[in-house]
Amino acid sequence: MHVMFHRYGQFAGGIDLPDENASTIDQPIGMVDSVATLRVPLAPCGTAGASPVVDVGTNVQCGERLAAAPGPGGVDIFAPAAGRVAALTTAVVRHGRDLLACPAIELTDIHGGCGMGAAREVRDWRTVSSNTIRQQLAEGQIATSRPRPEPLIRWVQRAVATACQDLIVNAMENQPYITADHRLLVEYGPQVMQGLAILALACEARQVFLAVDARRTRDYASLVEPAIQYSVNRVALPHKYPIGADPILIKVLTRREVPLGGRPTDIGAAVIDASTCLAAYRWVACGQRLTGRVVTVNGDGVARPGNVFVPFGTSCHDLLGETDAPCVLGGPMTGRQVDGDAVVSPACESVLAVTPTPHAPPSQCIRCGWCRDHCPVRLNVAMLNDMYELGDVAQAEHLGVTACVGCGVCSYVCPARLPLTDRVRRLAGTVRHHRRSMPLLSDMAPSPAAEADR
Amino acid sequence: MTQPASDISTTVSLGYDGHAPLFRAPEKIRTVFIVTLVAACLPLAGGILFFGYRAAWVAAIAIASCAVFERFYFRVTHTPALLGRSHAYLTGMLLALTLPPFTPWWVVVMAAAFAIIVGKAIFGGVGHFLWQPALLGRFAVAVIVPILASLGIDANLTPDQWPLLAPQHMLLGDIGDVQPMRPGEIYRGWQDHDLPEDDDGWAVPLPTQTLRPLTVATVDVEPAFSSLAAVREHIDHRKPAALTQLPPVGDMLLGARPGGIGETCAVVIVVAGLYLIYRNYVKWGLPLCFLLAAAAVAAVAPVRVDVGGERSVSWPIIAEGLDVGLAYATYQVLSGAVLLGAFFLATEMTSRPVLGGAQMLFGAGAGATAMLLKLYTTLPIPTYVAILIWNTLTPTIDMVWRPRVYGQRHVLRFRRKQH
Repeated sequence: MHVMFHRYGQFAGGIDLPDENASTIDQPIGMVDSVATLRVPLAPCGTAGASPVVDVGTNVQCGERLAAAPGPGGVDIFAPAAGRVAALTTAVVRHGRDLLACPAIELTDIHGGCGMGAAREVRDWRTVSSNTIRQQLAEGQIATSRPRPEPLIRWVQRAVATACQDLIVNAMENQPYITADHRLLVEYGPQVMQGLAILALACEARQVFLAVDARRTRDYASLVEPAIQYSVNRVALPHKYPIGADPILIKVLTRREVPLGGRPTDIGAAVIDASTCLAAYRWVACGQRLTGRVVTVNGDGVARPGNVFVPFGTSCHDLLGETDAPCVLGGPMTGRQVDGDAVVSPACESVLAVTPTPHAPPSQCIRCGWCRDHCPVRLNVAMLNDMYELGDVAQAEHLGVTACVGCGVCSYVCPARLPLTDRVRRLAGTVRHHRRSMPLLSDMAPSPAAEADR
Repeated sequence: MTQPASDISTTVSLGYDGHAPLFRAPEKIRTVFIVTLVAACLPLAGGILFFGYRAAWVAAIAIASCAVFERFYFRVTHTPALLGRSHAYLTGMLLALTLPPFTPWWVVVMAAAFAIIVGKAIFGGVGHFLWQPALLGRFAVAVIVPILASLGIDANLTPDQWPLLAPQHMLLGDIGDVQPMRPGEIYRGWQDHDLPEDDDGWAVPLPTQTLRPLTVATVDVEPAFSSLAAVREHIDHRKPAALTQLPPVGDMLLGARPGGIGETCAVVIVVAGLYLIYRNYVKWGLPLCFLLAAAAVAAVAPVRVDVGGERSVSWPIIAEGLDVGLAYATYQVLSGAVLLGAFFLATEMTSRPVLGGAQMLFGAGAGATAMLLKLYTTLPIPTYVAILIWNTLTPTIDMVWRPRVYGQRHVLRFRRKQH
């Protein structure tokens, strides 16, 4: 008898968070109620906006191309539903913990969306070469569903360029509320596994991991068979936040550490999520465009919590309905609080109506050291806070600030309610900015003159 | 926050915000201080039990004057870090724990003034001070009171014999109403010693003073033990080590011995300290290393021994074997303020290092220094001075102690270039 899921170890630091997902975890993925308008964002990857190829007033079909990618960093945009192009407008989308105000195409008279209905395989992908798969992915113009989306083909090319050894599907989802990838694995497990096999083929990865929460493994029986067929290592990891952060997951699975300021691909590991795997399968095997994603809708005062398939461009207000709580794109630990007019893009795995824990304004640091004790990458956050207050970016870089994974644990535990995560992110952003704007300083070799002096 | 950009053809970053994470842990600064204050009430309760209402009076004056001084300073300067009085209460409480129960009220007020104004306020309040404020106040009066006494003002924080209430007069007795030991009289323990009529207790020498002739050569005082062999003899008779000179171990653990208000009840201090460790307000490494280092120094620090009438110097454990050496070390750890220092005073968050390993270094250093000062100097407050010395070193330790961050290479950490 085979082992369904292998178990791995822990990491130092981290916290246990409440789940808060009882109302969504067992409900099947539903469809979003009919929406009147969609504002389809033209720059989901944070680049310049794609240039529209349809005129205002034309009727478009579902999956029809709306805009052409501005360059290699962006993707083409396809109509998520049949409707009429009403106007060119702007929409607010999430990009990591930033918000972007990007150009958008407003669709009205929505009739009939492209759902997640049963798709028939029209192409045989199992016998083709890696090059052909990559070509097909490039034609697919798929954006990854990570918090910071990028064109999937770009991600694949980077993995290939760095001779990626390990391909990891990060389905940990250990922030409160979020169950979108969990429901995908439960209901579309075989398809996700095939998408993963497609990506493994495209990346030429040697080992493929599927990392899931150890407490949910019994729900994933349907994907064990295809996972064995495509030789996917199934790994069940303990539920401790933030094990779902990419560098921590790589550390736990492979014992390799992402270098300071680097990417996972620098150490031969590529991390992707279940949603993107499914999108890759649906395009490569079934020829269906990526026009929406499964989003967890939950929170205080949400009428119908659940996981729904949402076309891109649906506004948060349409999803949440009437609620007093502030709208959050993304998880409660790493997400971003927005107005109700922000729209769903590939970056947003959940739309929540969460009232933040009320707390007093921040006071001074008392040096309790809890931020350091719980930091998953062992940053001395208390000292980084000092460096933030002193404006000492060089010292912050020396302390390794670019290792921050932005999990939010330091702010969570801080008894002084200091916005530590925010401050560390700003410091890291400044360090990266300095590195970019002064590239010579970061890797300057000793000059010949200095050598001669010696 | 989310206004659309004016030019709709470009993508504009709207930047970070300070909202995430939306959830916060329930612990607040105020909770930390109040819970520590409540934990510190346990040693105080022990002190009140053994030293009577005058100890409660000292504690009340200390807490009230600390709160008043802090309020006063805040009114004058409006330093925002001084807002909120929970840390002033805690400072007053810790100050009271370190003071002798017979301290005159004006000395307590003076100590509180030094603790709040010099120790805390001029540094900028909680999170900024260098020395633990309560200890600074205690140190200030330990220096100033002898000077005042030499000027003719009647105050003495370091008498030869310290008061202790008898079991019949616990809690309600008056420590002013005690009789000093007659020369040659042998103290027989808290339960067994005879109590003169009309007295509430006795005045007996501090255990530290009793043990001191073992290590510090004094001319006029007859050594309490000619050698550690005396200790060995008592252990062989299965009796507590220094029955004739020291309170039995049971008394030392329960706190039935003279000393500062909160210094004596060893069991209670340990229980309160373990609660603080359980609440994660104190990391286990600091008190453990403090106590281990103090015990280790006591076990190996040379003592004067008397072998066949000839005086020499030797290590307790080597000279007298493991059992006597450990018993001696236990007495040394239990007799001063080492326990209170390890669990309550060295663990003040602002004046200890931030990282766990650095805290262990800090604790070990402070414990060893405390025991060395206790053994070889005649300072009245050796433990507190040791903690103050190591508080001074805290910023240096913080700067030097830098564990590797994920992704940093082991060797490159010490080089100037990072990559």
